[in-house]
Amino acid sequence: MPRSIPRFLCDTAERLPDKTAIVCKTRSVTFSQLHQEALATAECLRELGVEPGDRVGVCMEKTLDQVSVICGVLFANAVLVPILPRLKQSNIQHIIENSGMNALVTDSERMNEVAEFAAVTRLVIGHGNLDSDWANLPYMRRFMRPRMFFDRIGNDDAAIIYSSGSTGRPKGILISHRNLADGSDIVTEYLGTCEEDRIGCVLSFNFDYGLNQIWQTISKGPTLYLHNLALPNDLFALLAAERITALPVMPVIITKMFDKRLKLATASYDFSSLRYVCSTGGRLSDAMLRDLKTTFPSAKIYSMFGLTEAFRSTYLDPAKIDSHPTSIGKAIPDCQILVLDENGEECPPNVVGELVHRGATVTKGYWRDPENTAKVFRSHPKFPGETLVFSGDKVKRDAEGYLYFVARGDDMIKTKGFRVSPTEVEAEVVRHPEIVDAVAFAVINIEIGEDVACAYTTVTRQPLAEHTLKQYLKTHLPNHMVPAYLIHFESFPVTGNAGKLDRKAIKQAAFERLGSEPESIAAGSVQA
Amino acid sequence: MSELEILRNYIRTETGYEGELAPDLDLLEKQVLDSFSIVQWAMFIQERFGIELEAEELVRDNLSSFSNVMALIQSKKSAGVVQGGPEM
Repeated sequence: MPRSIPRFLCDTAERLPDKTAIVCKTRSVTFSQLHQEALATAECLRELGVEPGDRVGVCMEKTLDQVSVICGVLFANAVLVPILPRLKQSNIQHIIENSGMNALVTDSERMNEVAEFAAVTRLVIGHGNLDSDWANLPYMRRFMRPRMFFDRIGNDDAAIIYSSGSTGRPKGILISHRNLADGSDIVTEYLGTCEEDRIGCVLSFNFDYGLNQIWQTISKGPTLYLHNLALPNDLFALLAAERITALPVMPVIITKMFDKRLKLATASYDFSSLRYVCSTGGRLSDAMLRDLKTTFPSAKIYSMFGLTEAFRSTYLDPAKIDSHPTSIGKAIPDCQILVLDENGEECPPNVVGELVHRGATVTKGYWRDPENTAKVFRSHPKFPGETLVFSGDKVKRDAEGYLYFVARGDDMIKTKGFRVSPTEVEAEVVRHPEIVDAVAFAVINIEIGEDVACAYTTVTRQPLAEHTLKQYLKTHLPNHMVPAYLIHFESFPVTGNAGKLDRKAIKQAAFERLGSEPESIAAGSVQA
Repeated sequence: MSELEILRNYIRTETGYEGELAPDLDLLEKQVLDSFSIVQWAMFIQERFGIELEAEELVRDNLSSFSNVMALIQSKKSAGVVQGGPEM
């Protein structure tokens, strides 16, 4: 049988037809209904001329409809291109053009706006008002007799996910059905996802991590509760009322959940049903871990790490979160993580090398970009005929085999003859009880190469006194790692599609601030 | 200024939203406010109207539209928890 998402849904709809699959506010669908909806959507797409392999964009709010359209695109043998509706117009336009999109599904909210620049697509399909010139999906679905015509194999293209990337324009990452199915199976294996689970989904379905919640649901049969996080107390109420067992989050979400400026209702609820909280997309600071452990004492905490090019690379055994809080853990099942030096040799323990990912979740490469694909998706003499992902990320492995993230690509700060890892500086800065998050980076200093600079946010949103903070850091960091510049931010900007810290924008804003306050720049010039 | 005007002015200034701002408009659904700005919104309401919102009151439904916010302010005032009236 083919390894694919439609296969998952067909099987689960047959096994658990009347079990609730997705809940969104007061509405819900069973697995059987979701299956029928997906098939009807696929039929509509085909009626409108979508052919196998066509790219179909889904630019929708997080609703039941979005889930059925996502599944419908795959049932139509088309390639899913998720787009976060909040993205800037120029980014949406880039994704539409770059993917060579043939059809776009959007909700009525974004319809008029998207129509202006979606002229490049052959077809535009809308939800919403009937008097527009958009084909209306709910209306069409009423007349469609669902048929099963999925005919792809595991190797076929399933999705293109645009990663926000820290530099340049977002790159499309081409993902096969087998990649999606393997990614889902691997994660359900280590998280133990099962029919009895009730997953609280605050993630959006525009990137791999969020989408994986759908794949896990339709393969293992838990119930997925969609929630748009606005104020944390609404989320806490949902967790308690629905007896949520699983909560996948990201660091930026944890920060929002425990916003100290608001009175939080955490003490008045019973969260004992919560089995685990998992997080990826950035470091978990001491403050975040403390908040999670205090609020959800029953929950295991999974700290995970990966890049979209290979979906997920590592996770830390939750039993090790106290003894190894800064580790990104070990390889996920069915994958191997290599730490290689410049000659492609495995690094000895505690020596920094490049994270290279080998195994099931290696995607097909960058969409229509052979040049960049050749740089990242490469072979290694030890594994002839295989494609590995050379992440560019710097990591090290301790004697016990635990991996530690050191820096993205060439982010290392070269100062006073040392190579300083921004991650190590950040890890120490966020240990300060008042600091929520930190981003360290280099500032050019003509005398010593580079200075360490660090932007930070605080619990109170107020800046800390610079000299006391520096004194504090001097007692915790070797001298060459103590930031010469400390820049306070009320909050950090995050990237569009995935909601990670937008390190590039943070750096840029920090440079502007440093540039406008010349007295704070003791030596050298500031460059971006 | 009426309560509604004060609230509208804040939204116009802080978000730059130029569309119509009906009292019942769902500010989150229409993406006038997001999960970051709604916290600022909650802080502003408390400070400007001299009320202190309890955890169970700091929920989406109470803060999602002007009408709901005004109803919340009224109920806090009639409950006698006002610490200082709006400064005109």
